[in-house]
Amino acid sequence: MISLKNVSKWYGSFQVLNDCSTEVAKGEVVVVCGPSGSGKSTLIKCVNALEPFQKGEILVDGVAVGDPKTNLPKLRSRVGMVFQHFELFPHMTVTQNLTLGQVKALGRSETEAREKGLKLLERVGLLGHKDKYPGQLSGGQQQRVAIARALSMDPIAMLFDEPTSALDPEMINEVLDVMVELAREGMTMMVVTHEMGFARKVAHRVIFMDAGRIIEDAKKEEFFGTPRSERAQIFLSKILHH
Amino acid sequence: MGFDFDVIERSMPYLFREGMTFTVTLTLLAMTGGVIFGTLLAMMRLSALKPVSILAGAYVNLMRSIPLLLVIFWFFFLVPYIGAWITGSSQPIKIGAWMSAVITFTMFEAAYYCEIMRAGIQSIARGQVWSGYALGLNYWQTMAQIVLPQAFRNMLPVLLTQTIILFQDTSLVYVISATDFLGAAAKIANRDYRLVEMYSFVAVVYFIISYSLSLLVKHLQERIAIR
Repeated sequence: MISLKNVSKWYGSFQVLNDCSTEVAKGEVVVVCGPSGSGKSTLIKCVNALEPFQKGEILVDGVAVGDPKTNLPKLRSRVGMVFQHFELFPHMTVTQNLTLGQVKALGRSETEAREKGLKLLERVGLLGHKDKYPGQLSGGQQQRVAIARALSMDPIAMLFDEPTSALDPEMINEVLDVMVELAREGMTMMVVTHEMGFARKVAHRVIFMDAGRIIEDAKKEEFFGTPRSERAQIFLSKILHH
Repeated sequence: MGFDFDVIERSMPYLFREGMTFTVTLTLLAMTGGVIFGTLLAMMRLSALKPVSILAGAYVNLMRSIPLLLVIFWFFFLVPYIGAWITGSSQPIKIGAWMSAVITFTMFEAAYYCEIMRAGIQSIARGQVWSGYALGLNYWQTMAQIVLPQAFRNMLPVLLTQTIILFQDTSLVYVISATDFLGAAAKIANRDYRLVEMYSFVAVVYFIISYSLSLLVKHLQERIAIR
């Protein structure tokens, strides 16, 4: 479904991604973790071309992301993305947030988009908030709306860029619950997160990054059992300590 | 010779019906055109395409480096020839003080509105743009639906402040003998030798309008800041 081959990226002379290769199969849940500044957010943003990369190749459902001829809006409309800071549109109501992409990018009718949007809003347990503005919702609620918004596009895969790191601790679980449910339904997911509990519960594979490189790419059991690299062992011992 | 209030009273209908109508219409047209053109310029300045951003940057810097009075003159005397050259006519085309003023102020103010809108666009977090793109929107849709509405809202007080300046600056059309509010007053002043009365009255009117508008902007700013 998603395949990265030898992807490298530079900001000027600073190399943020160094020869990254991995695969995410259909229905697979892959967690990407690593210390901050390791390039994991950049990597996931390369997958739907929010960040350009200079070397290598990324294929999403067979479409080459880096190819200048690729219709990027069309490709992106098929891949859902959830951001660290939610990025709901503050000047629109929750319902408008849910319908905008469906109407503008997929050409659905207002009625159809609304119906679909509200169904997903109900699924994340927020139907009662449909006419509110994002600013009136808590962080956890906003992130659930953001997930519903991404799902309303009927994506073939979902990308999560640290979806819980901007949340207050008591709101993390309501978001993770939605994500766990999604994973169990067989959604293809690539998740940048530090939530190792989530990784243990639903991930198939864990990727560990450091300094722009993929250092470890292993089955969940292997990764949590005995990480091969020392760097990953230190990282795990630090974040699993508490 | 005392201060003659009567001349003001007698000339009121002319001053407002002719003069103020001209001034207000010119202000509103130049504001509308200037904001639209200025927003386009701002998008061009922020474009990743170097030639596009350089072109827009050159235009804005040029307009902001020339005195407005000069631009008004320049347009008034040159545009008829440029128009003739474009249409291929052998005679300079007749454009008139009114049209010339509308075009001049729109183009001049666009440079200032551009800088305001540019700051407004840049104030919108990068994530908002990403979020629009991630939903499959293209550049124009992302701009129209997400970035510009927010940028416009954030910048509304500054845009209106610029419009108050524009309202005052329109009095410069005096130099091309257009009958704006000041122009109308000047005509009466010279005809009746009532310069002190007329110019004092004009000053008071400009002050009342501009100051009330600036109070309105202040109020608006506080309201926007709350959210």
